[in-house]
Amino acid sequence: MSKKLLLFIVACLVSALVLAACGGSGEESTDATESDNASNASEETESGSIEVEHAMGTTTLEEKPERVVTLYQGATDTVLEFGVTPVGVVESWVQMPMYDYLKDDLQDVTYVGQETQPNLEEIAALEPDVIFASQIRHEEIYEQLSEIAPTIVNETIYDFKETTNLIGSALGEEEQAETLLADWDSRIADFQEKVSTNENWPMSAAVLNYRADHARIYVTGFAGSILQEAGFEEPTELQGQNEEIVMLNDKEAIPQMNADVIFQFMEDTPDVQNTYEDWTAHPLYQNLEAVKNDNVFTVDEVAWNMAGGLQSAHLMLDDMYEYFELEE
Amino acid sequence: MKQWTFRLFNDRISIQLSTRWLLVTGIWLLAVTGLFLLSLSAGSNWIPLTEVFMQITGQIDQHTFVVETLRLPRATMAILVGAALGIAGLILQSLVRNPLASPDIIGITSGASLGAVTFIFFGAGIISMQYLPLAAIAGGLLAALLIYLISWNKGVTPIRLVLIGVGLSAIMKACVTFMLVMSETATATTAYIWLTGSIYAASWSEVTSMIWWLLIPIPFLVVLGRGLNVTELGEDFSISVGIRVQLQQFIFLMCSVMLAGTAAAYAGGIEFVGLMAPHIARRLVHRSFPGLAVTTALIGAFLVLIADLIARTLFLPLDIPAGVFTAAIGAPFFLYLLFRYRNQ
Repeated sequence: MSKKLLLFIVACLVSALVLAACGGSGEESTDATESDNASNASEETESGSIEVEHAMGTTTLEEKPERVVTLYQGATDTVLEFGVTPVGVVESWVQMPMYDYLKDDLQDVTYVGQETQPNLEEIAALEPDVIFASQIRHEEIYEQLSEIAPTIVNETIYDFKETTNLIGSALGEEEQAETLLADWDSRIADFQEKVSTNENWPMSAAVLNYRADHARIYVTGFAGSILQEAGFEEPTELQGQNEEIVMLNDKEAIPQMNADVIFQFMEDTPDVQNTYEDWTAHPLYQNLEAVKNDNVFTVDEVAWNMAGGLQSAHLMLDDMYEYFELEE
Repeated sequence: MKQWTFRLFNDRISIQLSTRWLLVTGIWLLAVTGLFLLSLSAGSNWIPLTEVFMQITGQIDQHTFVVETLRLPRATMAILVGAALGIAGLILQSLVRNPLASPDIIGITSGASLGAVTFIFFGAGIISMQYLPLAAIAGGLLAALLIYLISWNKGVTPIRLVLIGVGLSAIMKACVTFMLVMSETATATTAYIWLTGSIYAASWSEVTSMIWWLLIPIPFLVVLGRGLNVTELGEDFSISVGIRVQLQQFIFLMCSVMLAGTAAAYAGGIEFVGLMAPHIARRLVHRSFPGLAVTTALIGAFLVLIADLIARTLFLPLDIPAGVFTAAIGAPFFLYLLFRYRNQ
């Protein structure tokens, strides 16, 4: 009996030691990923190297980068606005391998896999000078990416202004970034000025997405934030609630969709079409302001939701001018 | 058949070896080694073995990143994950005396999944993703404890353990689905990848911390492993030879959880390896837990290694989750087992 006990105690001790060792190694590695979410700023030091502050730390580029790899759709879209053609990009979500509006610009590009699991060997083989990634997608591989090349990380995948600023900083093209964003600001101001002459202004807008088993309202995110920037209010029932996305799992929740204008997008599959027909046939749906006034627009899901870059933001704004029959 | 028995520590630990076991295990060891070397050579670009050797021994350095930072830890991780899953499955199958038991079927893997998805759902962006393994192991442990407690009725019988496990597993999968539906697209995508199971992006620091976790159950298995052979003969028999069945069962269950939970924590929901590896091992060598465990570990390692190799080379430049392939082989295998044991 006592021997058994002894063996058991030894086993326990070994385990405890192991646990202690684990704790130690865990602490060590925190430093590496310690994130600093301060807004990005870059500094050109005397030696001509560029320092960029981003979501996962501060990264130094020894010289102006030429070979660029982008690992999320928004970066691929936006880097082209700087006149730089990336050497490697990740596949798009639809219209694979690349969204139609970018295909012409990216004819000779190398695809390095998918945004969610890009192929590290392929990226390394391209010998890039800089990599643009997203924390939400690539936090786990940040260290490996940094070994390949300086890696600049955006916190989200849809904040196209942050993407523009980060790319501008890393390429040493801050002025270009400022110009691009100033263009955007003046365009959105123009839109707001013209749309506000509408008799129903101020208007609320809802971005809806129908799925096979539910519907969702994007309150913030890419399209939502652009609509708010353009002066639209949040959906009537959701104002002041700070929701990002609202899931509607039951048709009784349809009144939450209520808004003066509805922008909707959905996949073209039978399941989704069924949900759509089912929901839109419901009496509650007929009560929505946008439906009563015939202000429901079906939009391009690439430009409004899946691309998330500066170009697609402009495409989205083009659509808005068209829907409200405004001239630029 | 020749057989040797080694007894250590005054008969506390005994190891039985037979020529057949040596032969079979030797062959699997060769197979795993071969596949491991192939994994170092194959990828986006083929690096000849001679260059791999020169790289590892430091004679050249143009493949440092690809070989030493990417392929070596990834292949090592695949071996660890496969071995852990295999042994976890072997323990469970011996424990409940049912060839259909495995960590993913009785709910340990779903517990780990729930832990991981809960972490991704509530913690993404707030807590660093490197703590995900902890959440997964905790989920697996909680699930196992819950299964054990609910099954308890003056002791736990294996069949009740399995049935309760299957039931709880269904509930936990429902919770996972619920969270996926409620979460944003980006979060859901991260969770989906985790659920499919992927050895992608393994790093040396992950490999080391995984080894530490795996070391915890090993002393228990070495000391108590022999008891598992006896347990397999039935509870009454175990009691009659003086084994405290409940305590041992509990310790074995926890060992299995630690192994499966750790594998799930670092590689996600890689399924069916815990079912297949012990099965293949049992068909090839005779039952004696320590020997069987070594063979099972090698077979498990082989399965995950080959699944990951296929996953990252077949559809280049795509790098897809290895879990897709273990499921593709495993699901038909499970059906075959159900068919084979349909009359028992």
